[in-house]
Amino acid sequence: MLVLGIETSCDETSAALVASGRTVLSNVIANQLELHRKYGGIVPEIAARRHTELIGYVINEALDAGGKSLCDVEAVAVTAKQGLVGSLLVGAAAAKTLSYALRVPLVGVHHIEGHIFANLLSNPEIPLPHVCLTVSGGHTLLVYVRDYCQYELLGGTVDDAAGEAFDKIAKFLDLGFPGGPVIDRLAAQGDRKAFAFPRPLLKAKTFYFSFSGLKTSIINAFKGQLVIGDTLPLEDIAASFQEAVVDVLPRDGAGCGYGVHVPYYAGNKKSGQKTAGGFQTYGQEPTNVCGLQVCQF
Amino acid sequence: MLVLGIDTSGYANAIGVADGERVLADFAFQTRNESLAKIMLNIDSMLKDAGLGLEDIEGFGVGLGPGSWTGIRIGVTVGKMLAYSTGKPVKGIPTIEVLAYQARDCRSLICPIIDAGAGDTIYAAFYRSGNSAVHQMGDYYVGDLPGLAEVIAEPVVLVAAGVSKYQSAIEQLLESNTVAARENIPGGATVALMAAARLQNGEPDDTLALAPLYLKESTARAFVNKYSKRALEAQQR
Repeated sequence: MLVLGIETSCDETSAALVASGRTVLSNVIANQLELHRKYGGIVPEIAARRHTELIGYVINEALDAGGKSLCDVEAVAVTAKQGLVGSLLVGAAAAKTLSYALRVPLVGVHHIEGHIFANLLSNPEIPLPHVCLTVSGGHTLLVYVRDYCQYELLGGTVDDAAGEAFDKIAKFLDLGFPGGPVIDRLAAQGDRKAFAFPRPLLKAKTFYFSFSGLKTSIINAFKGQLVIGDTLPLEDIAASFQEAVVDVLPRDGAGCGYGVHVPYYAGNKKSGQKTAGGFQTYGQEPTNVCGLQVCQF
Repeated sequence: MLVLGIDTSGYANAIGVADGERVLADFAFQTRNESLAKIMLNIDSMLKDAGLGLEDIEGFGVGLGPGSWTGIRIGVTVGKMLAYSTGKPVKGIPTIEVLAYQARDCRSLICPIIDAGAGDTIYAAFYRSGNSAVHQMGDYYVGDLPGLAEVIAEPVVLVAAGVSKYQSAIEQLLESNTVAARENIPGGATVALMAAARLQNGEPDDTLALAPLYLKESTARAFVNKYSKRALEAQQR
């Protein structure tokens, strides 16, 4: 079965062709980062406008690159929830129209399922069941993937997403947007023990995380340095911050009661490679493919 | 030429079918923020009622706005993908011109008004009727009602949804009663008629490039532009 997947939940317009649920024939991603950089974050209205301009070209390119035509498409899948509403609507409108015009089934996919399945696409050896930690700009979730389309939420953030903390810290320190890659670069040259940032909920014996207090703590440390009049050890702040994030995210799934020991990482490159690097990981280059025709919401 | 027209720029969405200069179907429905949930179902049932299938449609017309930004994105995307998937041409029509066209029997100046959904801001434009079409006089207007009243110098007919409030306000501002009003929403069949005429004239739009007519930049961009303009002025001083 040939499925056309469409994803417009945030700032990237993406379309992909997946055959038999496993073979990626094409995966086209149009990035809008340059448009949003000067605002220090994604502006929903600007993102939605760009999606509308790009969506047709991206779908057309995905078909071309996959060597297929529209009449070969047997189902359309689209990210249907969790994202910027204005952005989601553009992809959903395109998918719905194609499904109607081509008379093929339409499947709405949860954004996080997209992350989980992107891992399975690029690393078919990942076993089922497994535990998947999803870290992106908008989500930090620990999910037990029992089987295809059978999930159990083990935990997640109670406030900010990890990626959001990266972006907000980068914005505060005036490092540019997105925050992940910049903080990664700085942290590589810094001392990760220089600042003792808090590790909230670390001892709570749950899989819930919190990044909001960590953010405040970094801002206070930064202001403290200003008061002392010291030069700002940006590298040290970045390294200590990253260490704190990696520390609170679970490295080991042993405690979750499912006999699964390795959490697999899924997420967005923008959130920071180091976060991923803290684990024994698969899916270092996660993609935005949401193209698997596997479940109905 | 059978053309399907779509306009999703307002609180009511409109769809219609025209065969050249003849209207076959015209339907408007309240969206209650569920435009996308309703539009395909309504297009399907309208076509079926008219004894048509999507494969009979030879072209598409889309209202480009201005209006609800999220709304027009849905209509433009649906129209674009219908044209793309059927291989038929598409023509975008400014929604404000659709309103003017619906008052094309008026000899006086025609002034459609669309609520911008942001405080007192409105979109407006002036048109004159002639040769079974309407012709735009000058540029689009984006601003408040008193600003619009200032540029009205002759008898005018206002066309809008909820037009009476605009009429009484403008009459008060102008201290005259030369302002006529017509209560109207953009019609799907009108979009289809206008698109059919232009498509038959060989003026299709580039399907994949079809984009809404916003007339206003996003709030974030407006803020940054204003901010950088001020900084620039400060530098120059």
